Amino acid sequence: MPTSRRTFAVAAVAALVLPLSACGSGGDGGSSTDASGKVEGDITFQTWNLRANFKDYFEGLIADFEKKYPDTHVKWVDQPGEGYADKISADAAGGTLPDVVNVSPDLVAPLAKAGLALDLDKAAGQYEKEYLEGAWASHRIPGMDGTYAFPWYLNTGPLFYNKSLFEKAGLDPEQPPRTYDEVFDAALKIADKTDGEVATLANVPTIEDFGRYGVPLMNKEGTAFAFNDAKGVQLLARYKELYDAKALDPQALTATPESSGKKFLTGAVAMNPGSALDLANFKKQAPNLYENIGITDQITSTGHVNMYVMGLMVNAQSQRKPAAVAFAHYVTDAAHQMSFAKQVAIFPSTAGSLDDPYFTKEDGTDETRVRVAAAKSLKTAVNYTPVLFSEQMKTELRNEVAKALQGKQSPKEALDNAVKACDRLLQQQG
Amino acid sequence: MASPTLTTGTPDARKGGGARRVRRQLPASPWLFAAPGLLITGAFILYPFVSTLVNSFTDRRTLVPGEFVGLANFRELLHDDMFWIGLRNSSLYVLGVVPALVLLPLLLALLVQKNIPGITFFRSAFYTPVVASIVVVGLIWVWLLDERGLVNSLLETLGGSPVGFLSDQWLILLSAMGVTVWKGLGYYMIIYLAALANVPRELHEAAAVDGAGAVRRFLTVTVPAVRSTMVLVAALSSVAAFKVFSEVYLMAGPSGGPAGEDTTLVMLVQRTGTGLTGRVGYASAISVVVFAVTVVLMLLVLRADRKEDA
Repeated sequence: MPTSRRTFAVAAVAALVLPLSACGSGGDGGSSTDASGKVEGDITFQTWNLRANFKDYFEGLIADFEKKYPDTHVKWVDQPGEGYADKISADAAGGTLPDVVNVSPDLVAPLAKAGLALDLDKAAGQYEKEYLEGAWASHRIPGMDGTYAFPWYLNTGPLFYNKSLFEKAGLDPEQPPRTYDEVFDAALKIADKTDGEVATLANVPTIEDFGRYGVPLMNKEGTAFAFNDAKGVQLLARYKELYDAKALDPQALTATPESSGKKFLTGAVAMNPGSALDLANFKKQAPNLYENIGITDQITSTGHVNMYVMGLMVNAQSQRKPAAVAFAHYVTDAAHQMSFAKQVAIFPSTAGSLDDPYFTKEDGTDETRVRVAAAKSLKTAVNYTPVLFSEQMKTELRNEVAKALQGKQSPKEALDNAVKACDRLLQQQG
Repeated sequence: MASPTLTTGTPDARKGGGARRVRRQLPASPWLFAAPGLLITGAFILYPFVSTLVNSFTDRRTLVPGEFVGLANFRELLHDDMFWIGLRNSSLYVLGVVPALVLLPLLLALLVQKNIPGITFFRSAFYTPVVASIVVVGLIWVWLLDERGLVNSLLETLGGSPVGFLSDQWLILLSAMGVTVWKGLGYYMIIYLAALANVPRELHEAAAVDGAGAVRRFLTVTVPAVRSTMVLVAALSSVAAFKVFSEVYLMAGPSGGPAGEDTTLVMLVQRTGTGLTGRVGYASAISVVVFAVTVVLMLLVLRADRKEDA
């Protein structure tokens, strides 16, 4: 009978589609910031790219926590760093965000705005004094009250340079440039001496470069971007000068950190940012480079280097908030951050930890030299990445900068366009 | 032991009632057989399609459901430079890749068609790029075409200067097209091999007796015989080319080449619609345009085929 067939078909499609239509974003909006109560229950802890090298550390940490709180069970999920934001967004939209999530401040901002990040000022304000003031403040969102993640580890990479390339260009390899203007001058000399064969930098300026050059990135209220001021234009104009002289690598417009790192390894580029971890890599993959490696602080014209901050966010919709808060605090407390710092080249965000002799005394090796120098610079470091600066905004800035470097528009026009596009995206974020 | 009969009761009732019950059950049973397939199709094709269509009329973001905005997203597309760049690059990709993928695999299939000793090795070798991961293929070509890669080293050895395969806007696009063609050759070659196997040998023999050379036999016998396969290849490759993502993404980088000038429409969908701050509604509108253009492409190819038949 046609009617019954049609009815059956409609019912089948409805049965199929209706449950699916329940999927999608949107929380219940009824999350509370109360995290008091007994620490118990099963929680999920998500990190990125840590299992491969630190499996034992985290399994031990979790076992200790479960021993301290016998009624808890922590399930650890680790995912590759590639596309991590997409994975979190899929979880957030699907309502399956883990209880404790490893985040950077720019990832916290949209989650906090969507009501998915727990306000720790309200739920765990008693722990604030345990952390460095700047680190605790790094997970505050302009336009919102509250702090939305426990600060975890900090980092600030040193800048590596190839001493032999400096020597060939007639520069003193023991006196590396420290400010942007010094870098630009050195870069032009190296390009000139090598007929453009050797570039000094391999990446176009990012928002952090503008910050370290002394450009105001946003207005005081955090409601609009401001990096198109005279100083910003000046920075971009200097980069254009480098690009034209081949002191900036011609492939910089499409470079990724990996590709520019490879160029530094092959001696095509004279300077490259990195971390203490890179030293072992140089020793293994480029022994000749390792013999000539120079290590200096990040380039900055403000006197403050850039600080990268990692945090642990607690899901505001977690059913086990007391356990989640307790665990996030446990992972980020002074003792555990210190023990993690001894496993890998990171720096604790807890108050007083950087005064530990581990971060203040050199033993003559390059590794300790890098560690001590980085720890020292972290005391006055600034997180120059605005928490509201999304991936889409990074692309807008990068594209406009590329147009300026190619001469398709002036540095002023490029930055005006970038600010306009970023402001539009900011407003669309709500 | 369970009875194999459908009903119980008197023989008469069993006969009549059983027949009626079988008739009543028939309309539903095909649906039950089709249910698993329908469920999968519905969940992974139909629902995302309808959802994308609905989202394209909203200002939905990753973490915000959004509201109905009518045609606002489509109006914004008209004023978005990046959309036009994406449309241009995706269209250029079709124009650059499809003719090569229609002709070159046919020539390759003719080469490996003959059953001579060792030919299986060549068939497998030509097919290898098809089964290789696109990421692996892309990375290999990035290494080869790098400013200090093998290709540029060879050019320098021959006295030339390095070519910016991965830094020039147009060369990046051409390089990506080359990779797409290289990777697709084996796949379409297999399709042509199947078609060539059905071309009657007598036609070639008759043409040869009439004095036709290899080129003439190719044009007057082979091409007409595999014309419908060529149309199929054109349709498949044009849709795939318009939706290109991986090759360009790997060669041009996540920002889509210098100043995003190599961005394709699908790259734009990915860039705009993903992440915690993704504009799902706007990205959906771009997806709807991609869908519409691919449908038009298919119709154009099929219409051209019908004209040839008439």
